[in-house]
Amino acid sequence: MRKLFLILAILFLVLSILFTLLPMGTIAFLPIGLALISSLVLLKKSAENQRRLPNWLLTLSAICSFVVVLKLVFIKDKVEVDKKFEQQKIETKIEAKKELEELENDLE
Amino acid sequence: MKKIALFIVFAFILSSFTADSGYGIKSGEKLVYAGSYNMSGLLTQIAQVTMSTENVTTSKSNYLHLSCELATYTKWDSFFKIRDIYESYVNPTTLKPSLYKRSIDEGGYTIKEKYVFKGTNVKSSVTKKNRPEVHKSFTIGANTQDVISLFYKVRTLDFSKFKTGQTQSMMIVFDEKEIPVTIKFMGKETVSAGNLGKKECYKISIGAKTDALRGKDKNLIWLTADAKKIPALLEFSIPVGTGKLVLTSATGI
Repeated sequence: MRKLFLILAILFLVLSILFTLLPMGTIAFLPIGLALISSLVLLKKSAENQRRLPNWLLTLSAICSFVVVLKLVFIKDKVEVDKKFEQQKIETKIEAKKELEELENDLE
Repeated sequence: MKKIALFIVFAFILSSFTADSGYGIKSGEKLVYAGSYNMSGLLTQIAQVTMSTENVTTSKSNYLHLSCELATYTKWDSFFKIRDIYESYVNPTTLKPSLYKRSIDEGGYTIKEKYVFKGTNVKSSVTKKNRPEVHKSFTIGANTQDVISLFYKVRTLDFSKFKTGQTQSMMIVFDEKEIPVTIKFMGKETVSAGNLGKKECYKISIGAKTDALRGKDKNLIWLTADAKKIPALLEFSIPVGTGKLVLTSATGI
């Protein structure tokens, strides 16, 4: 049983780190929460001399949680001005105007 | 992600209720939404959706250009960049479309689509990445519209006369197909509407025979219960999860 929770705790911690690095927002709390629960159960099922790894897993999960909170507070959502996209919009409008004039001629 | 992007625009599809309000769609309107994806109640902001209108004049006619842009937030651009534009050129009074264009760029996958409306005949051209351009001609119903113009058309309607639970069927053209859509008026609710503050809204459910939408009464739009009928909130359920679009800014209304 301890082995199972050890595997789960490591797996969820890896996911937590991944989700923390990615811009997943509050969704990152999902693997973090599972990593914390698995690590706590692992800690409970561990003998005194086996508690070093569960403690590390718990600490890393807590750090992930802290980083996610910091990202939520300090990183604001914004859309970068994309010159290529802006140019594309201008070209599309010019093209559309020509197409509308062609349509008008066809309908006459 | 592609399905989310598709829905974000598809969510704007609404009914063919008979237009009866005196309110017309103004040029210069700009509505900005924050689009987020929901997983087990936890949200992540994905993209910004901007709906705008402007007048376009040719040598013979005037059109209202309806545009819907979808762009991922900078934080997502390195992982999956989306830059989509959906446009419709419509008659400013009747909102009947003459030209519909879709330009998709989702993580490098591109589609360019164009529909030219000649009465009930539509000439389409579609270009997908690394594929030759495909041309088609097909017939649609007299009241069938493209997804963008329908979104605006619904705002000219008088929902105050609808009863809770009242439904209406209609057709839209999307992906070179006519798709039946069912609209259900679900009453009124007060929701936050960005810079407009808290607003009483008409709650509307959308059902469509398409793989893009899932669930009964899980695809919802809240339109402000005033003459402008600004979409304040949209919630959607798609095969890969649920999400919402929250109005952050409304200008030129």
